[in-house]
Amino acid sequence: MLRRGFQAAVILGHHGARPGATHLLPRFNPASAFGSSMESLVSRFCQEMTEGKNYALPNASWGPDMLSLYHEFLEKTKTDGWVRVPSFRSNRDHIRGFKLPLELSANSDKSDWRLFTRCIEREGQGYEYVIFFQPSEKKSICLFQPGPYLEGVPGFAHGGSLAALIDETFSKTAYLSGEGLLTVNFNIRFKNLIPLGSLAVLNVNVEKIEDQKMYLSCVTQSRDQQTVYAKASGTFLQMPLEEDSSQH
Amino acid sequence: MLRSCTAGLRSLWALCGRREGAPRLSTDLPPAPRLFSTEKVIHKDWSLPNPSWSKDFKLLFDQFMKKCEDGSWERLPSYKHRSTQKSEDFKTYFLEPKLVKEERVSQVQLFTRGFEDGLGFEYVIFSNNDEKRTVCLFQGGPYLQGIPGFLHGGAMATMIDTALGSCAAIPGGIVMTANLNINFKRPVPICSVVVINSQLDKLEGRKLFLSCNVRSVDEKTLYSEATGLFIKLDPEKSLT
Repeated sequence: MLRRGFQAAVILGHHGARPGATHLLPRFNPASAFGSSMESLVSRFCQEMTEGKNYALPNASWGPDMLSLYHEFLEKTKTDGWVRVPSFRSNRDHIRGFKLPLELSANSDKSDWRLFTRCIEREGQGYEYVIFFQPSEKKSICLFQPGPYLEGVPGFAHGGSLAALIDETFSKTAYLSGEGLLTVNFNIRFKNLIPLGSLAVLNVNVEKIEDQKMYLSCVTQSRDQQTVYAKASGTFLQMPLEEDSSQH
Repeated sequence: MLRSCTAGLRSLWALCGRREGAPRLSTDLPPAPRLFSTEKVIHKDWSLPNPSWSKDFKLLFDQFMKKCEDGSWERLPSYKHRSTQKSEDFKTYFLEPKLVKEERVSQVQLFTRGFEDGLGFEYVIFSNNDEKRTVCLFQGGPYLQGIPGFLHGGAMATMIDTALGSCAAIPGGIVMTANLNINFKRPVPICSVVVINSQLDKLEGRKLFLSCNVRSVDEKTLYSEATGLFIKLDPEKSLT
């Protein structure tokens, strides 16, 4: 749930002089904004779907590293307050009953639209990942196993595929931590290659929330933390969803 | 920051000779002749119009093909698979043998070409070697969604990486991404066409500093701006 951000200047009410730039967002009233508690955000976002597949579950393609770490965190969901974030084919499935702010509403709801990191259906071929979120610390862990369709350098994951998953993990974390919605800035420093089929662990933290913007950081490393694959940071704009009275 | 290409610096994108998926090494080895039954599939050039391309996209494509006529611009072909020989060459030169898993070589495909027509990344890159800049025409399909109706930031980041990489490869040959910094200004609607203009800002030894902007076809909307640092690979040094 996030993507392109708007310039902060527009948010704060400076009417930009850029040719063709329309005033896209309503003025925010800080006093009333973002009233949803984290609990309600988590429960709204993480509601299990009765129809449609939840991709954040193990399948036959998951290697032993990924499986064992997954089970470790599953235990923590019972004891330490961690939440396993379900993952559906489209972000629309996460926000049933709600919709994007008016200016961001797309014209039609085509059923063949897919979340980028869930675009490759075949098990083990593309993105295999699951995100666990810790509400009290505003942090997430994402377990990532890249498949052969994500190749860049022969035998290794394309940097763009990692960038996309970091952005995606940022997005889920930002939303659950305070309705962060759109990426405004994204910075990534690549350090080492991730071999296809191996496990990479993304550690995401919310560093700061200020002026309707959320600042997040991510370190991607091997399970034993001996190899750092990449470091990234991102800035997200907070935007509350609107109630969708047309949906049942 | 990067000190050398060996220990500190890795990453994904190796654009060999600026032809994605069909690398030519800087040592210019001729490909060993091989016969595969799927040879035609392997060598299909994906940077050519197909029915999923919108009218805008085709018009812009034709405009740039015209610019290629006098030789100042060049359209870069784009392949889904590297031939096995070329993959082997790359691994021999740049990677430690024990770290490369052999089993799944035949299943891999370049990330940005793993989709059916129109569903994922539809793009073509035109290169101006004298001016050291590239123009990438990109149409993002419905499988690249983030917020419903709009392109995923990560998909845009992947294309920016691709576009900057193609530009870095003009002077740099085989290059890899070190850093990317992207400022998103406006969300890009799914299935719209954008133009990514990339240029080389600075060259320092093996470090290439580039920047790009992403605009609508009529240039009135600025979707994002980005900078990147790429590293020219040294055939004497292993990456792993």
